[in-house]
Amino acid sequence: MSFFRSEERVDEWCRAHAVPRRPLMSLEQLWSLALAWYSNRLNPDARRPGPDEMRAIFTAAGLQGPFWDPQSDMFS
Amino acid sequence: MDFDTQVKTAIYSHIAATTRTPAVAEVAAEVGAHPGEIREAFGRLYRKRVLVLQPDGETIRMAPPFSGIATQHRVVVDGKEYAANCAWDALGVPAALHADADVFSRCEQSLEKLRICVRGGRPEPVPCVIHFAVPAAHWWDDIVHT
Repeated sequence: MSFFRSEERVDEWCRAHAVPRRPLMSLEQLWSLALAWYSNRLNPDARRPGPDEMRAIFTAAGLQGPFWDPQSDMFS
Repeated sequence: MDFDTQVKTAIYSHIAATTRTPAVAEVAAEVGAHPGEIREAFGRLYRKRVLVLQPDGETIRMAPPFSGIATQHRVVVDGKEYAANCAWDALGVPAALHADADVFSRCEQSLEKLRICVRGGRPEPVPCVIHFAVPAAHWWDDIVHT
């Protein structure tokens, strides 16, 4: 996942690399994910979130749909 | 604390203190174990998706959010410069360290420099968007290229 200055730069990059345009995320949404994923990472009892926890984290950040579903088979 | 958790904790403590991912010998010295035991623990942590290893099976490529190699995402915290794996992990470094940070990255298309200041527990607004090229279900098909 990468930073882009604007949506226009994303479109240019997708065309240049012949990849589909995927959902975009704001800096605030990315920060929300960073906190959910990593704020406990240095603690001994930290662990990666499971699929249901991942869905809850994405939903809380306003990210829903099969693209954010860790068990979706829509993109196989 | 079980052995793998000791190893994981030693790895992350080492990175937080030094900015570098530790070698097997450094973790062995830290936890008082044989290097062979550490290599086996690295393998188990890889299978649990805690670490990503280089093809040699023992050099840490990723201990998310930290990168074992230099990347385009640099994060400066208290004068120390950490490497992050991706945009998400670039913000993950200050989240993990619970610290203010300056994130130095770039626009992937224009290569324009991008600086994000994290102050007081949140990033200051910067004109940018984040694009995830790979769906969540496929991140671990090739976690280095998401």
